[in-house]
Amino acid sequence: MNRALKRISIAVLVMFLLLMINVNYLQGFEASSLSTRPDNIRAVSEANQYERGDIVTADGVLIAGTTPSNDFYKYQRYYTDGPVYAPVTGYDTIYSTSGVEEAEDALLSGNGSQLAFRNFIDMITNKPQKGATVYLTINSKAQLAAYEGLAKILAGKGRVGGVVALNPATGAILAMASYPSYNPNVLASHNGTTVNNYDEALLRENPSPLINNATQTTLPPGSTFKIVTSSAWFTQATTRNTSSMVYSPQVLTLPQTVNKLHNDDDEVCGSAGANGQTTILWAFSQSCDTTFGNLGIDLGGQTLNAMAERFGVNDPNLNIPGVTVAPSQYVIPDSPPLTAFSAIGQYSDTVTPLQEAMFAAAIANNGTLMKPYLIQQVTASDLTVVQATTPSVLTQQVVSPAIAGYLKQMMIAVVQDPQGTAFAYNEANEGGLEIAGKTGTAQNLLNGSSPNPDAVFTAFAPANNPKIAVGVIVQGGGYGAAAAAPIAVAVIQAYLATLGIR
Amino acid sequence: MPSPALGSQPPEDLPASRRRTELIMLVFAFAIVAFAFANTAFSLKGQRLSSLVAYMIAFVAIIIGAHLAVRRWAPYADPLLVPLAALLNGLGIVMIYRLHEAGRNGNPGPVNTQGTTIPITTLSSSAVTLQIVYTLLGIGCFVAFLVFVKEPRVLQRYTYLLGLIGVILIALPAFLPSSISGVAGTGAKIQIAIPGLGSIQPEEFAKLALAASFAGYLVAKRDVLSLAGRRVLGIDLPRGRDLGPIAVVWLVSLMLLVAESDIGTSAVFMGLFVAMIYIATSRTSWLLIGFVSFVGGAFLAAELFSHVGTRFSIWLHPFSQQNLIDYPQASYQLVQGLYGMANGGLLGRGLGNGLPYWTPLVQSDLIFTAFGEELGLAGVMALLLIYGLIVQRGLRTALMIKDPYSKLLAGGLSFMLALQVFVIVGGVTRLIPLTGITTPFLSQGGSSLVASWILIAVLARLSDTARRPPPRPIQEEGLTQVVSVR
Repeated sequence: MNRALKRISIAVLVMFLLLMINVNYLQGFEASSLSTRPDNIRAVSEANQYERGDIVTADGVLIAGTTPSNDFYKYQRYYTDGPVYAPVTGYDTIYSTSGVEEAEDALLSGNGSQLAFRNFIDMITNKPQKGATVYLTINSKAQLAAYEGLAKILAGKGRVGGVVALNPATGAILAMASYPSYNPNVLASHNGTTVNNYDEALLRENPSPLINNATQTTLPPGSTFKIVTSSAWFTQATTRNTSSMVYSPQVLTLPQTVNKLHNDDDEVCGSAGANGQTTILWAFSQSCDTTFGNLGIDLGGQTLNAMAERFGVNDPNLNIPGVTVAPSQYVIPDSPPLTAFSAIGQYSDTVTPLQEAMFAAAIANNGTLMKPYLIQQVTASDLTVVQATTPSVLTQQVVSPAIAGYLKQMMIAVVQDPQGTAFAYNEANEGGLEIAGKTGTAQNLLNGSSPNPDAVFTAFAPANNPKIAVGVIVQGGGYGAAAAAPIAVAVIQAYLATLGIR
Repeated sequence: MPSPALGSQPPEDLPASRRRTELIMLVFAFAIVAFAFANTAFSLKGQRLSSLVAYMIAFVAIIIGAHLAVRRWAPYADPLLVPLAALLNGLGIVMIYRLHEAGRNGNPGPVNTQGTTIPITTLSSSAVTLQIVYTLLGIGCFVAFLVFVKEPRVLQRYTYLLGLIGVILIALPAFLPSSISGVAGTGAKIQIAIPGLGSIQPEEFAKLALAASFAGYLVAKRDVLSLAGRRVLGIDLPRGRDLGPIAVVWLVSLMLLVAESDIGTSAVFMGLFVAMIYIATSRTSWLLIGFVSFVGGAFLAAELFSHVGTRFSIWLHPFSQQNLIDYPQASYQLVQGLYGMANGGLLGRGLGNGLPYWTPLVQSDLIFTAFGEELGLAGVMALLLIYGLIVQRGLRTALMIKDPYSKLLAGGLSFMLALQVFVIVGGVTRLIPLTGITTPFLSQGGSSLVASWILIAVLARLSDTARRPPPRPIQEEGLTQVVSVR
């Protein structure tokens, strides 16, 4: 019997070895893949057992924080001024994350590899694990002005709008507002039913509040695209300057078609007369469509496209951590009449408010376009910096400094010249602040519900020492100067006030 | 050459009872349990330290009672059996305390994707006290066994009575209405519910009765079973008439499988019988016959009965849409258990810091995954080693003991314990299909705990017999020997 017993003992040994090997495989090897399965609510729950890091604006306003929670999880996420900052922070639900919450999830939750050593120290010293704090480039005053400006015009209208403000010298995003917005506090609820109901309600809404219109919605740039057309025209020959004469008819007869291009209200372009010539400065400040339509035909679609791309258009790889960006588009037209329309920001041209801000920022920064970024730095709970963004160049010299100077002069004229389209915001009216900008009033055939054109404005200020560049698009807002410019000016004023500049 | 560990006898003139070793080991076990209690208390909010101290004192007092009983009635018993079992029992109480505490502080429970709240715990507020009462009952039965069964061979007299009791206990729930025998939330009919008092799972005791009965039957029939028969294809087949008992056992285990939806127990049951018949006869043919008939029966059942087939499907494809997402989320429990163990990783979340309560019925069948989550790989390896050590002590006893009946009983019970651990731990870690049986000593519930302590009592009695020094003559040689039997 002992021989059989010894064999049974070996069988028992094998059974226990199998169990041990299997447990080792499960907890040592397979664990990481099991933990990242989408249906594993333990991973989400585990994250909520630790204090998630805060999200703070550049001027120190806490926009996403945590409070101890008495329910199933130990901590509850909350958002200050949720709808204002929703396109910036994103949301952190028990199921998924978006925006900065998604981009910096590893560090916010405290699980990032950069924090591994600190977590180990915390474990030894018996301190609870805490997520890292994310500092954004956002300025709270500018953000609030942007959102309130949009809400004032768009509340209850069923149309969308977006604002982006950049620091032209660095590319730091100072404001990024979208309308309509949503309340991320509801999505942060620990009650799955509440989250699902609100999510379904948001998905049913049209336009969707979950889309960040500042960077994901593209609309026609209208006349603001004349910045690109002018840049291409100046770049073509170094002899040209703002005093150069350009052909500015009252009506431009388009080749190959019976269609004619008129200026707004069929106006004559400045003092040029029905078939005359005028300076490009004059045509730009008055936004003469016939002038720039004609320049577009002369330059050709390829040249316009090349210049647009230098400004960041058609770039599917513009990757801003924490921001979902839809590429702005310029499609090369296959006929001169369409090229004429594309040169004045119509045809298939569509841009985001971010792109609008980038137009102004490149000019303001002497022709060099900085890459926009939102996350300034991330600091661990012991205040050491674990991640920081250094400004980088997106396009070195979109245009030469001299041409950037011409464009600046022309954009100043748009606001400061009594004949300019945005003269309402001139130095005298804005308390001595010199703003440079370009209005756009874009026909949008897709605006079925609204007979109004889209209002667009891109600007920077102070004109001679630019600190901020703003892009605004208000769908169906009407004239750019009437609907978009006030928001941009409010954002500029709010931001410069924090810098002590009037 | 016999290994010294297996064959050594205490020197004739210095019989070492090793009770002191047992006491030291017990203190060690108490220290671990107390540490685990304290660890849990510090991790959870809202604990009451006084009740914890009370639990710990009660537990220590009960186990010390067992130790004193061993000193008095089985002084030569193996010194590791009681400490190892006590350690498991204590850790089980700690885990039940931890799982029960998680439901406090007004926690509403996790919300599933349908938006409904899953109750965080099904444990009542008295679960810990009850488990300690069960421990007391278990130790009571342990002591009673040592007091009343002085010599294991007396059990041999009741071979057929024990067999009958075993079969009745197993069959009883099948004939009772589901309201009494059904386990809520599962299709199994394995208990006898006594309103107001709780429920008994008779199969836990039936396994012990049947093991004793098998041992008696096989000792009587081992010669016929091993010698008579024909040789076919190099395998010695037993005679048809000797196949009778194995056929009966096979049918009873199939009945369990089908009528009571209790696949796990039927596997343990069948494995126990096959192992014992093999130990008795040393004939590999019995292993083959037993194994083939069980696997064949299981596959047949998987084809014929959907609930058995589902178990296989869950095992093979736990993450499939059909098993995990679609109603009734058949693999949800297994997958949550796996997620729990994955969440634990190498070192675990620490007692009180994991989320084991998301696994349905974590306090009973899946308690091992709770240990995996909170103590990690390190913890569950330790648990497996503790089980392995108990089994090893039992098998060692079987090798040492001379009487064939006792040998068979010790070997069979040890193997049964090993098999039970294999079936449930293998099940929750997806080594084999998950079948709901209790985890010895750890799971919440009285029947399993009491039966496990009786098993330890039998092993203690057998090892006491094996290690007891031969009776010493108390007078001169040559006369009629009068011996002193303690």
